[in-house]
Amino acid sequence: MANINSTPAAVQVSNVDREDTHRVYHRQERRRLWSFIAVLVLLTGVMLYSAMTGSLHVGVTQLLQGLWTGTDAQVNVVRDLRLPRIIIAVMAGAGLAVAGVLFQAVMKNPLADSGVIGISSGAALVSLIAVTVFPALYFWMPVFSFFGGALACLMVYGFSWRSGLHPVRLILIGVAVNAIFSGLGQSFNYRGSYAVTSLNQVTTSTLSMKKWVDVDVMLWYGGIGLILALLVASWCNYLALQEKTARNLGLNVTLVRVLISVVAVILASTATAIAGVIVFIGLLIPHIGRQLVGSDHRWLIPFSALAGGLLLLLADTLGRTVLAPQEIPASIIMAIIGGPFLIFLIRRSDRLHGR
Amino acid sequence: MDVNGITFSYDGNVDRLHNVQTTIQHGKITTIIGPNGCGKSTLLNVMSSNGKPRKGEVILDGKAIARYRPVELARRLAVVHQQNEAPDDLTVERLIRFGRMPHKTMFSSNKQEDEEAVEWAIACTNLEQRRFRTLDQLSGGERQRVWIAMALAQRTPILFLDEPTTYLDMFYQLEIMELIQRLNQAYGLTIVMVLHDINQALRYSDVIIAMKEGRILASGHPQEVLTSELIEEVYDVQVLIRRDPEAGLYIVPMQAVLRPL
Repeated sequence: MANINSTPAAVQVSNVDREDTHRVYHRQERRRLWSFIAVLVLLTGVMLYSAMTGSLHVGVTQLLQGLWTGTDAQVNVVRDLRLPRIIIAVMAGAGLAVAGVLFQAVMKNPLADSGVIGISSGAALVSLIAVTVFPALYFWMPVFSFFGGALACLMVYGFSWRSGLHPVRLILIGVAVNAIFSGLGQSFNYRGSYAVTSLNQVTTSTLSMKKWVDVDVMLWYGGIGLILALLVASWCNYLALQEKTARNLGLNVTLVRVLISVVAVILASTATAIAGVIVFIGLLIPHIGRQLVGSDHRWLIPFSALAGGLLLLLADTLGRTVLAPQEIPASIIMAIIGGPFLIFLIRRSDRLHGR
Repeated sequence: MDVNGITFSYDGNVDRLHNVQTTIQHGKITTIIGPNGCGKSTLLNVMSSNGKPRKGEVILDGKAIARYRPVELARRLAVVHQQNEAPDDLTVERLIRFGRMPHKTMFSSNKQEDEEAVEWAIACTNLEQRRFRTLDQLSGGERQRVWIAMALAQRTPILFLDEPTTYLDMFYQLEIMELIQRLNQAYGLTIVMVLHDINQALRYSDVIIAMKEGRILASGHPQEVLTSELIEEVYDVQVLIRRDPEAGLYIVPMQAVLRPL
């Protein structure tokens, strides 16, 4: 009897329970929506602000009118000098953030960032050499830097793989690979000639002096990379499971890992070829993204692209306005923000794992 | 499914399986038992293409499993592993939907079939009330049911489970074992599992495979295989085997047999 009496109550409880979980679920979806709206609004705002501000100041209406008609001399200067820089900052930031998401998915390691594990410095070294040897092949620079990034990536995998990727070993090997390539890059700059200091942009990024030809390169390679990243998003989701589980779901785990790594290297090395080595964007943005839009890569990748673009543009705009007319390179600003954040991340994960 | 002379090694030096030979019967529940490190999980891994044998091959439907494409194999055979990981914010329903992956092609997927499979998997595992929960909001038993549901959503004729009841309390253990039995009886699923609890193996299996040190010592009907001599040989434990009018045959471990090292 007791059983029969208790049945309706039990059903009621679980209905309430279901509504309750529904509400939680919708709260998550709402937060995702608002995060996207916020980052889009901020990105548009900072882009406008960045276009208007600097040694030459133009208003919003003047800027938009001038861009439309093409007759305003001041706006034309902005279009030729400032817009390329803005577009490149946004695309490079997007590429680095998404490369971080992809490396973290493949290596199953939240600390994998193309700057930290040496992918960027590998890409920078090879494009430095290529720029010196074949200065005419400018449009193909991302291809050269891709080979550098891929070499660094192979080294990191090759040396840290021992029947699985141990997280700590992977980061340590990555730091070592990074040291090798950035050391080689720096010694390349000390060959004795003053002329080579112009190549410095590849190793210590400044986003100044960017032209529309750079934008072309960046948009082509970066755009293709970002589209490919969206296509591999659901594979990244399967990789979040155990390797065995993903394989028994029918995923060709090794092939998928290689393909995702290739996309990540394309993104990271294109950004490096055009904007130089910038660390920590691929670390900060994916982490914040997971908090805001969750771990589903179909949302995390587009969000990281937008937020990464926003962050690098913000760093660059800050760098050229706070001490104007002097400029602080965006890479330095990122290192200043990123270092403390890395410490914070490691401390927090210590607490989570109770070690 | 035929296991033909499998010799397997993780590192190329020490063989973990030695010339293992057996046949998995269609539509039956087969349980692999044996002490820790005897190679039972390894055998299950090799049988699910998660390890390449040094010698021998596993034949499924007339073809070596090494020659299946991963998706083809995943349409015939699903595995619930002992330890699982997934992002904490994944919902139950999303994870179960992962089980439809082998049925998706690059450009199309049969939506209705997907829905039916997911609903069936949720109904079988009694997770209707949990479907919008995230994994970190579930109990251990519920989480195990979610992983089983994901495997069920693959709609394979064969289901492997690696120690499905380890780490669960008595209630959840029974719940899982009854679910497995129901899947076998109602839907004719061929089940192969690894169990530590010898009484569960006795009660729920049609066939038992007893392993020690990478070899199969005996296999067959549980009541014939599980003699006190065999159990002592496999586990180094002396046991009593008793029959209860209600519970049927059961085994009571009595004493560990200490052998000089």
